[in-house]
Amino acid sequence: MRNRMFDSRRSVLIRNITLPVLLIVVWQIWASTLPPGSPAPAPLKVLQTLADLLSTGSLVSATLQSLGRVLLGFAVGSGLGIAMGLAMGASPAVRENLDPIIESFRPIAPMAILPIAILWLGTGTPTALAIVAYASFFPVLINTVHGVSRVERKLILAARTMGVSRWTILTRVVLPGAMPSILLGTRLAMGVAWTAIIAAELAVGAKSGGGGSGGIGQMMFVFYAYNIDLNAIVVCMAVVGVVALLIDQMFRLFEKRLIPWRH
Amino acid sequence: MSDNAKSPKLRLAGVTKSFVAPRTGQQTLAVAEMNLDIETGEFICIVGPSGCGKSTVLNMIAGLDVPTNGVIEKDGQAIPGPGADRGVMFQDYALMPWQTVEGNVGFGLRHGTPGQDLTKAERTQRIAHFIDMVGLRGSEHKYPHQLSGGMRQRVALARLLANGPDILLLDEPLGALDAQTRLILQAELLRIWGETSPVTQRKTAIFITHDIEEAVLLADRVVVMSTHPGRVREVVTIDLPRPRAGTARTNPRFGELVEQIWSLIRDEAYRAIGGDEPVPALTEKATV
Repeated sequence: MRNRMFDSRRSVLIRNITLPVLLIVVWQIWASTLPPGSPAPAPLKVLQTLADLLSTGSLVSATLQSLGRVLLGFAVGSGLGIAMGLAMGASPAVRENLDPIIESFRPIAPMAILPIAILWLGTGTPTALAIVAYASFFPVLINTVHGVSRVERKLILAARTMGVSRWTILTRVVLPGAMPSILLGTRLAMGVAWTAIIAAELAVGAKSGGGGSGGIGQMMFVFYAYNIDLNAIVVCMAVVGVVALLIDQMFRLFEKRLIPWRH
Repeated sequence: MSDNAKSPKLRLAGVTKSFVAPRTGQQTLAVAEMNLDIETGEFICIVGPSGCGKSTVLNMIAGLDVPTNGVIEKDGQAIPGPGADRGVMFQDYALMPWQTVEGNVGFGLRHGTPGQDLTKAERTQRIAHFIDMVGLRGSEHKYPHQLSGGMRQRVALARLLANGPDILLLDEPLGALDAQTRLILQAELLRIWGETSPVTQRKTAIFITHDIEEAVLLADRVVVMSTHPGRVREVVTIDLPRPRAGTARTNPRFGELVEQIWSLIRDEAYRAIGGDEPVPALTEKATV
């Protein structure tokens, strides 16, 4: 039984990897037909550029800067989202007051508040944080409200018959009851936040003429607008993808840790 | 306490509950004019067809529902709302899925009023004591989804007792269990309630069930309710000697009492499932 499961896992892995490897091989074969000195990206050149960028440390520091912004902005956005979601879920009055405002802002993409953010907060980290916080707020809020509404009513009644105060019911029954939904919201939010930060850094990079703002998005902008290095751009894209993948895996791990009763 | 010596442990006086449908505004009378005095240490079973308001009565005593009319008094005082002095065991256990057995049993002690005056060590000790009492030692760190129905019910029972209520409100607590587990838990329930102890040391218990035999086995008095609206049809005193666990079913009086209660609710029970009056001749044949 166990062996068969292992086998099927391995065959899934093989099927997952086959096509990407094949595409890269085809890409490399195509690139080797190009004249020397062509700016077109090729797998081996990308690897060379990756090694160069790693050795100067600039790639790592740019990635860390973007990650730091995402984590901070995400913490602010999801913290607000959870708090407001709990309040809205627990009190119809709060929900009815906030719902129209939230529903009007929700369709406004994070990028669409960038102009105002730049004008108010400049082209540095505060703007990046604002964008990320804004982006992560909505998925967390909506999933928290949903999670609270799905908490079994009988559990709340049971807590009341045990002399548990309203506040404690909120933190000890409603919050853990909504936790699976909240975690789903944070995972979605983190994905959106990471997408938003790259786009924001790219756009801020354009505004600030390539200097100063930092982050991997801005690094991409420099390679696009000044150095015109396609291999380096591909490196940045790959890093963005890999980091997103790692973040998602980390969140799945958190989920298992935080809601052991589901596994 | 001595001032209240005259008042019963629990008194329902003219208790009426009606619900208003949100859209139509139509009123439904769930419980009408219910009067009942319950003494300390009594085991009361409430039986009746579905929709007779049994659960509503229990919820009102728990303080989760407020009567539309009438009063519910405990020790001569109107009940102020939900409180840990009246513990509830819910039909589908109502265990917190994110808490282990230990966490569930200790939930009221840690987060509610019952543990207010206890130290951390005293709470832990008390939790362990009640986990032992229901025979769940060794399963302290399991989550509810890892337990069988019978074990979950034991967790709910341990949690109820750990909070130290003087009135136990049990809403069909054994309804979802298989027949054998049910027999075992009935006997355990009687032991834990204090069947072998003097009356003064027993808890006061109000137990809702569909099962007439279960009611006769457990109760000092069986409250038979009828539907539309829910009201007390008759209160049958169960004069079987205690302790009953194990022996009562073989007593001829047991069958008589079951038959007596069944005859009180038979017509309504038939109506509840078929929508028609039972044909008398047929009914008589069916029960022979």
